[in-house]
Amino acid sequence: MSGTVYVPADAAALALGADAVAEAISREARRRGMDVCIVRNGSRGLFWIEPLVEVATSSGRIAYGPVAAADVPALFAAGLLDGCEHPLRLGRIDELPYLARQRRIVMNRVGIVDPGALDDYLAHGGGRGLDRARRLQPADIVAAVIDSGLRGRGGAAFPAGIKWQTVLAAPAGQKYIVCNADEGDSGTYSDRMLMEGDPFGLIEGMAIAGLAVGATKGYIYVRSEYPHASARLAATVAVAADWLRDQAVDFTIEVRKGAGSYVCGEETAMLESIEGRRGLVRAKPPLPAIAGLFGQPTVINNVVTLASVPAILAEGAAGCRDHGVGRSRGTLPFQLAGNIKYGGLVEVPFGHSLRELLHDFGGGSRTGRPLRAVQVGGPLGAYLSEAEFDTPLDYEAFAAIGASLGHGGIVAFDDSVDMARQARYALAFCAAESCGKCTPCRIGAVRGVELMDQLRAGDGSRIELLRSLCDTMTHGSLCAMGAMTPNPVLSALDHFPEDFA
Amino acid sequence: MNALQEPDLGTPAPQACADGVSPPLTLRIDGIEVVVPSGTSVMRAAALAGVAIPRLCATDCLQAVGACRLCLVEIEGRKGYPASCTTPVEAGMAVRTRSPRLAELRRNVMELTLSDHPLDCLTCAANGDCELQDMAAAVGLREVRFGLSGANHLAEPRDDSNPYFGYDPAKCIVCYRCVRACEEQQGSFAITAAGRGFAARIVAGASSFLESECVSCGACVKVCPTATLIERTAVAAGSVERVVETTCAYCGVGCGFRAELDGPPDAPTIVRMTPSKRGAANLGHACVKGRFAWGYATHKDRVTKPMIRDRIADPWREVSWDEALRHAAGEFRRIQRQHGRDAVGAIVSSRCTNEEDYLVQKLVRAAFGNNNVDTCARVCHSPTGYGLGQTLGTSAGTQTFASIAHADVIMVIGANPGAAHPVFASRLKRRVRAGARLIVIDPRAIDLVDAPHVRADAHLQLRPGTNVAVLTALAHVIVTEGLMDEAFVAARCERQSFVDWHNFVARSENSPEALAEASGVPAAQVRAAARLYATGGNAAIYYGLGVTEHAQGSTAVIAIANLAMATGNLGREGVGVNPLRGQNNVQGSCDMGGFPHELPGYRHVSDAATRACFERAWGVELPPTPGLRIPNMFDAALDGSFRGLYCQGEDPAQSDPDIGHVKAALAAMECVVVQDLFLNETARFAHVFLPGSSFLEKDGTFTNAERRISRVRRVMPPLAGMADWQVTMALSEALGYPMNYGHPSEIMDEIARLTPTFAGVGYDKLERLGSLQWPCNDAAPEGTPTMHVGGFPSRPDGKGRFMITQYVPSDEQATRKYPLLLTTGRVLAQYNVGAQTRRTANLRFHAEDRLEIHPHDAGERGIADGDWVGLESRAGATELRAEVTARVQPGVVYTTFHFPESGANIVTTDSSDWATDCPEYKVTAVQVSRRTRPSAPAERVP
Amino acid sequence: MNPVKLIRMANRIGGFFAAMPDREQAIGDVASHIARTWEPRMIRDLRAHMVNHGAAGLSDIVRAALARLPR
Repeated sequence: MSGTVYVPADAAALALGADAVAEAISREARRRGMDVCIVRNGSRGLFWIEPLVEVATSSGRIAYGPVAAADVPALFAAGLLDGCEHPLRLGRIDELPYLARQRRIVMNRVGIVDPGALDDYLAHGGGRGLDRARRLQPADIVAAVIDSGLRGRGGAAFPAGIKWQTVLAAPAGQKYIVCNADEGDSGTYSDRMLMEGDPFGLIEGMAIAGLAVGATKGYIYVRSEYPHASARLAATVAVAADWLRDQAVDFTIEVRKGAGSYVCGEETAMLESIEGRRGLVRAKPPLPAIAGLFGQPTVINNVVTLASVPAILAEGAAGCRDHGVGRSRGTLPFQLAGNIKYGGLVEVPFGHSLRELLHDFGGGSRTGRPLRAVQVGGPLGAYLSEAEFDTPLDYEAFAAIGASLGHGGIVAFDDSVDMARQARYALAFCAAESCGKCTPCRIGAVRGVELMDQLRAGDGSRIELLRSLCDTMTHGSLCAMGAMTPNPVLSALDHFPEDFA
Repeated sequence: MNALQEPDLGTPAPQACADGVSPPLTLRIDGIEVVVPSGTSVMRAAALAGVAIPRLCATDCLQAVGACRLCLVEIEGRKGYPASCTTPVEAGMAVRTRSPRLAELRRNVMELTLSDHPLDCLTCAANGDCELQDMAAAVGLREVRFGLSGANHLAEPRDDSNPYFGYDPAKCIVCYRCVRACEEQQGSFAITAAGRGFAARIVAGASSFLESECVSCGACVKVCPTATLIERTAVAAGSVERVVETTCAYCGVGCGFRAELDGPPDAPTIVRMTPSKRGAANLGHACVKGRFAWGYATHKDRVTKPMIRDRIADPWREVSWDEALRHAAGEFRRIQRQHGRDAVGAIVSSRCTNEEDYLVQKLVRAAFGNNNVDTCARVCHSPTGYGLGQTLGTSAGTQTFASIAHADVIMVIGANPGAAHPVFASRLKRRVRAGARLIVIDPRAIDLVDAPHVRADAHLQLRPGTNVAVLTALAHVIVTEGLMDEAFVAARCERQSFVDWHNFVARSENSPEALAEASGVPAAQVRAAARLYATGGNAAIYYGLGVTEHAQGSTAVIAIANLAMATGNLGREGVGVNPLRGQNNVQGSCDMGGFPHELPGYRHVSDAATRACFERAWGVELPPTPGLRIPNMFDAALDGSFRGLYCQGEDPAQSDPDIGHVKAALAAMECVVVQDLFLNETARFAHVFLPGSSFLEKDGTFTNAERRISRVRRVMPPLAGMADWQVTMALSEALGYPMNYGHPSEIMDEIARLTPTFAGVGYDKLERLGSLQWPCNDAAPEGTPTMHVGGFPSRPDGKGRFMITQYVPSDEQATRKYPLLLTTGRVLAQYNVGAQTRRTANLRFHAEDRLEIHPHDAGERGIADGDWVGLESRAGATELRAEVTARVQPGVVYTTFHFPESGANIVTTDSSDWATDCPEYKVTAVQVSRRTRPSAPAERVP
Repeated sequence: MNPVKLIRMANRIGGFFAAMPDREQAIGDVASHIARTWEPRMIRDLRAHMVNHGAAGLSDIVRAALARLPR
């Protein structure tokens, strides 16, 4: 008796005991004299059923979850390897509604392939984008990316192809591709899941970017809080070096680890950090596309943006362009977090409403109480009230209500939340994470926390000064960190004034 | 802004594009049309249009960073409020710098800044000279609505470790100017910010400024917009009432300085000395010596009364100027009557002004009636004068300092600019950080070899005394590997001299392989360096006393000129042959006729036409034969044919080699007249002491290593009542040869009339242009930044001359008795014999000379770091403490000569350059042995 | 002046020019260098030493050069 069992090695699954489950399966199989191949895949992103064990059967991959190590003997007894019935059996994985209702394009191999196996990657459609790119002129690769409508998934949503075009046109002896893997927004994890679950997809995207703009060197800047992703990347980069060389692609990648600074996810601070300096934000211009890493033209995109590129080359720009609404084309892997019943990764085209995500996917709050507020786009994103839950998930629609989609992180709160406390937290976060270069952010955040303390202690007269401070930070700060910190503060103040009374 | 402050346009001028042209753009600022080069910031464009935009972190000597957020503006068609310092202009842009909205934002930003700043303006040392104060007023801030009870840094401890400036973090507004100045201007990277966000604080090193990499250049202090970093003298003094622009009197870089003064003109207090942005040599940068170590000028040791005595064993007797001068003149005339006209002479000082040097040589030639005048350049750069004169036709460096920004390969030979020419070193390091390749040829691993942010591509660590072997081997590679610039050589150089040289260097005995044993440099390193120099683009050579102060000093200078000609590295920016002059006016003292064989402008005394010209002007007959050089004067003193010396601003009894010999010669003379600030070592042998005047006490000019003539301006009256030029005039009058100059400008006018290369120089023009590089005449009315552009005008047919440079080993060779080679040099904080710097707080940085010895040699002798050691050569013996370090190679020891008590020059010998008699300070065979001293070493440290 | 020193100085001047291929030119250059840089009493004393003690220690090229110097 033999079989293949999938136990995710994704950090979220590990946190829920996936290693113990894998160990138990191995032990149980040995005990039963069975030849079981355990593949440590990425996560499917359905965290309430992690650790999620899948078994390859003739009728597809059958899911069991959430599995505890203690469940394993019983699962074997019930016929796990044949996909037999058991109370933890969830059925065919791809028929789970949470997954079936998604449109997974960039995350399409995550949770399916063995992330360490290049052949598995290639067997699941990997490499075809690079293959095509190798036969194109740089300008044609750039044109395909422009045509796809792909916008940067890190938060700023700048058209990726236009950025590449600028770098392509900039004359220089050396250009760089920098992958921003400093995914620091609270409640976000799509970059991490991709790096852990499909790292070759990122490598391929970077290599294509290199061919497109004439860069031969790439850096992945990964946050130190992602040790598993970091280890996975290190191993993958070593394998990919041979793969790229075999295809005569002159492109090498170096992985650089951050040191726990949120602001190093800001692209210019990240460049400083890679260059070995303090993570201070640089003034722009010059744009990094003109003078970026070591003063050279540099493409900076985040993980999901770069990993979106191979499919665009392989399947054509339409595969991206034909999804979405308005100027928001393609899909975005949203990440449901916070007080939500079914937290996890939801990759859908732009245009769905926030409510659909919160209720149809998320199933409402985990506590069962009504959802009161949602923060979209990380710690600097606005808090939205129930009245705004029907806003379509579209960059422009969100901007119109003073909010941002950012990196697609959605953090839900039920009606027990104290929004004044949340506003204070936003300022405290800024105070803790500010790089300290510009005055409004460096001092303003601290003054903001002090004002919030006075306010919460009952001095309502401080609201006027708080708003004035927010104005100074919004319009005076050097980078988005200081400029966006007022978003959660002001939205909390505007949408939930009763909490500040 | 206060009218005494230097103008500040906020951001630097844009760098020219790759093609050298920055196309001008037109834009409107507050409705005013402005035309500026592309790349200009909006802030600078506004300043040029007369529109001041509030700012704190921006200053035009540093790259803009956009940190303070005070300079926000509105730009038509753009969202938001971009910072004008980091926003480049665009054609057609319409900028608004004033609006109610901008006023509100700026006020609110300023309010945040002041919410973490002590509001103690009235008692602050920067009151009235504080940019923060100015800006708070400019934005109209009236209250800090946050109150003053919030988080702040007001209780942070001060750092008063540096003797010259204090750091008070309580006043710091974290504008990062100091951090940037340390990086961009100085290149020390000693200052950084630690912590982030509100906790971001400026720190130096791990603990304090004194313990950090800080070299006390003062750049951070100068740019600090508050009293956070402030000179101790500025804290002690009142506010600045007036400013006098002058030129530093330390090294040959010749930095422009602003003496900031308080009090009445006849007794001013110097609030501080700050480097001037108008100084073309330094562009607003300075080093610890010029910036801070000027306290010697008013030190209690200054002698301000003339003194005489009959015998050197007698005590000094204070007398009037008149009596002192009459006594001196009487003695000189008596000696001449008794021992002949040629029995007296003078030494002119490379520390004094051109005008003063000119007067002293004029006194010797016209009043003494001989050519016995020499300059202390004799003992430093006389081989430069000879070597460059013979090959290129002009006894001077070929470039401006600014030229280094265009160099692709920089070769530093026998120079340690980080210590001796620090302001130039900063430029050099900046260029290396920007990608230029660096070759260092030096027996020691000087800082440039491997320091944070700078690393040499090659370090040819030769044995002392083998420069010519290495330089000739470099030429061998260039010639035999076909790396020459044939077109340059064909067009610009003498054919026959080239052929002779080519045949010589191509010989196998001159190959790197053949010379490796002598020089100790592996042949492969020499070959690689030669290829890099010859083929790496613009290649510039900078050299110092490690080249000249050798038995083959002149030969090495010639070899350097040969290399530059062979590779076509002359006559444009980024290349050239650049002697780094040790003293402020070495160049000038040579230019002014300070050598015994040359009249001003390097014209030989045997030239009848030149003599006739001076004879007419001076009304005397001039001797056509050379006079005595300094070492010859001492030799002649010992044989009785030279008995009277007028020694201005030099201390040969400490600075010259083989001091035992020098002292014996001085003691043998009948009249030694010393003119100096202090009773120096030579004054022990003097019969007349004439008080000197510091550079702060007189008008005149200095000429730096780039041939740049800069004004020295009187900051205070001479402490002794007379400036040096007035003293020389009075002495001449007492000798019966009156000179009549009302002001040093009149002396310069005479120099210009009599010297073709100075024909266009005058104080009016210097006033107008700031400085001038000679030659300056009708052909080049505003001076000559780069020499030899189209030819070598002082050479016959305008052609450069190659000369053969046969390596001859020095007489100073390691032997059984003296198995080590001693070489000498300087440190940053001390200056030459230390007469000035030892009388300042620079002692905190360097309090004694030490002998650097390699661990191998130290181990063999049982010497540990800090041990007292005896140092002995065939000339003499002394004692000092050892520093065991691998900076020196085995077999080589090194020391400095700043302290008379360690007496490095007791040990150096009479070996000297064949052509100029420049002493071979850089090679002395010595023995070193461990000493146990009864006194604890610490007792000796001042 | 000290003849040992003068002889050493003269020989070192000779040493530089001796490397030149044209011997006549080299002798002339040595003579010219001495004439242009030495104070007359140095030349006088060196000559006096030669008269009294012979030219021992002086290199050939220096001897030839000294012969060319005007009296």
